[in-house]
Amino acid sequence: MTDRPSILVPLRVLEGESVPEGVPELLANAHVVLLGYHVIPEQTAPGQAQMQFEERATTRLDDYETIFEEAGATVERRLVFTHDGQKTIDRTIHEHDCLAVLVPDATGAVDDVLVAVRGTVGIDRLARVVAGVFGAVDTSVTLYHVAEADETDEDIGTLLEGMVDRLGNLGVDESRIETRVERDQRPLDAIVDAAEAFDAVVMGETDPSLVTFVFGMPADQVADRFLGPVLVVQRELALNEEDE
Amino acid sequence: MAEQPVDVEPGGQNVAGEAPAAEPEAVTDDTTVHDDDVELERTIGLVGGLAIGIGTMIGAGIFVFPGLAANNAGLAATVSFAIGGLIALLVALPTSELATAMPRSGGGYYFISRGMGTAYGAIVGLGLWLGLMFASAFYLVGLGHYASAVFAELGVGLPFSPVIGIGLLFGAALTVLSIGGTENTAKLQNIVVGVLLVVLTAFLSYGVLDAFGVFGRTSVPEQFFSRGYFPVLTTAALVFTSYLGFAQVATVAGEIKRPGRNLPLAMVGSVLVVTVFYVVTIFVATSAFGADRLGQFGETAMVEVARNLLGLPGAVAILGAGLLATFSSANASILSASRAVYALSRDALLPRKASEVNLRYGTPHVALLAAGGPILALVATGQVELLAEVASFLHLIMYGLMCVALIVLRRRNPEWYSPSYRVPGYPVLPGVGALASFGLIAFMQPASIGIGIVIMIVSFLWYRYYAADVTLKGDI
Repeated sequence: MTDRPSILVPLRVLEGESVPEGVPELLANAHVVLLGYHVIPEQTAPGQAQMQFEERATTRLDDYETIFEEAGATVERRLVFTHDGQKTIDRTIHEHDCLAVLVPDATGAVDDVLVAVRGTVGIDRLARVVAGVFGAVDTSVTLYHVAEADETDEDIGTLLEGMVDRLGNLGVDESRIETRVERDQRPLDAIVDAAEAFDAVVMGETDPSLVTFVFGMPADQVADRFLGPVLVVQRELALNEEDE
Repeated sequence: MAEQPVDVEPGGQNVAGEAPAAEPEAVTDDTTVHDDDVELERTIGLVGGLAIGIGTMIGAGIFVFPGLAANNAGLAATVSFAIGGLIALLVALPTSELATAMPRSGGGYYFISRGMGTAYGAIVGLGLWLGLMFASAFYLVGLGHYASAVFAELGVGLPFSPVIGIGLLFGAALTVLSIGGTENTAKLQNIVVGVLLVVLTAFLSYGVLDAFGVFGRTSVPEQFFSRGYFPVLTTAALVFTSYLGFAQVATVAGEIKRPGRNLPLAMVGSVLVVTVFYVVTIFVATSAFGADRLGQFGETAMVEVARNLLGLPGAVAILGAGLLATFSSANASILSASRAVYALSRDALLPRKASEVNLRYGTPHVALLAAGGPILALVATGQVELLAEVASFLHLIMYGLMCVALIVLRRRNPEWYSPSYRVPGYPVLPGVGALASFGLIAFMQPASIGIGIVIMIVSFLWYRYYAADVTLKGDI
């Protein structure tokens, strides 16, 4: 149980979002934090929506919980009525200490997974998610790195070998791990292009910057363009990160 | 903040067989938690809370009342506003304590029903709902005056007075808009309030300097208590409507983040901010014209003050600001009124149907119509002063009872009552707050008092008929 990574699965439960096919199997080895949420307009008190919709939402979550449990996952669940879905997701990640968030999309059996390795920051959490979710099944894992112009082959080698070692230590069969390096490409496009040949993607969340403010987080953009499920590994929360 | 259990168990049934909804298990900084895994997210921050309070209040005291108040009390109307602000502060402090102990939607109604029982709660809750309607109607009539002034400014001669028509139009539009689900209303409210404060600060700074003769003009010499002392108090009673906004913050207490900190700051802060603005406004306005002429200008006196100080651009700026301010006040009040309906129906004092949420837009259409419909009828009366006073009356009853509820709760000291903010100077301060609230009512017109009392009696009879068996009071 301790090495099961906590993965958040957020669903807009009353707006028809459901658990897509294949996802329960994908997360069979994870600790699933199932978040059903319902976003209501500002003129409605959250309690008002609760009075009316709680029963229906609970029934659906019961079903999903069963599906995940039957696949082998451990499940914890929340139902939240909110004005601000993003705040709810962020808070749940924080409160349940989730390593990653799943952007769900239907999938078949997952035979191979693309793991985007960006740099040394957050690599520990990335490794824990990959090992926890894919370690016990015979999925082939491809570590994928898009190099920057000033990065030497040596740097890249150290980074990826370090990751392979780490995954090995966490119980992943190293013979199933491949590495791939790409140069002279925009990381985002490169990841999306490469992802097409894979069944699922694992990638890290970047720090918010002006670019991400305008175009959205890279992980969201990948999730929009890639047809399968994406696991977005969360940054470690700084202790003083509190709004207002 | 540690989790704070709200250990109140409502019981009983109303005539329709509905029981009050269950109380939450815990209240945290970010959520209200029900049944362990159902949460209501808190999404309004300190800025949002301040914007609700200031945005509701700033419309009336600055854009509708200066002419009326100066007409009644002369330059001493500044004192009237200061008295209003003081009473509001005396109530805002105890309200803050109650709100941090019970950060739940419904505000004053919730505190009183849990502290003093269902009968008081019903009177206050129905009174709050109706009081907010009277207040919204008052803001809408004010909006009508400003919109008419825009026509006058454009030189469009109308054969009839468009004030009431415009008020009705905007009232209907606001109701439809809120049912149709306008996105980002809260953000818009924050921006509107920010713009208003900037415009007013610039305008009033200029006005104050001018009043002290910095720009070489002689201001009108003014005797302070030109109308005597008694009108200062009656005017305070009239203009108290300008201070109703801080209670609106409490009606969304269930949605405020970190309620223990943000609720007191938002309520007390908004009262302090608007009090300063009001007092300075009246000072500038009366210095520019003198009370007599100011009084003749009526509801849109501030436009003339701005024209006098800064010419046409000033008049246009204040017209725009007045439209924005009265609009945002009316909007905030309609939304609060619908929150009040929700709180009442949650507790089975009104049919559960009243807080039903519309499937298409996700908005509480019944509650919004229940607020919007009667407002239109009230706007149609066009009685600015009467509407304002009845709204004040109903709120003052609630304010006084909130202070009493605080004293009752502190004396009983039930286990669940653990506010994170405690009012200083107990029991004197809440005691004075209660006396001042009830006392101010004595200075109102008999007609307003009469209407207010009838509303209270009807509320009580409704409770006896519809929900006599419902108990809401907390454990002793």
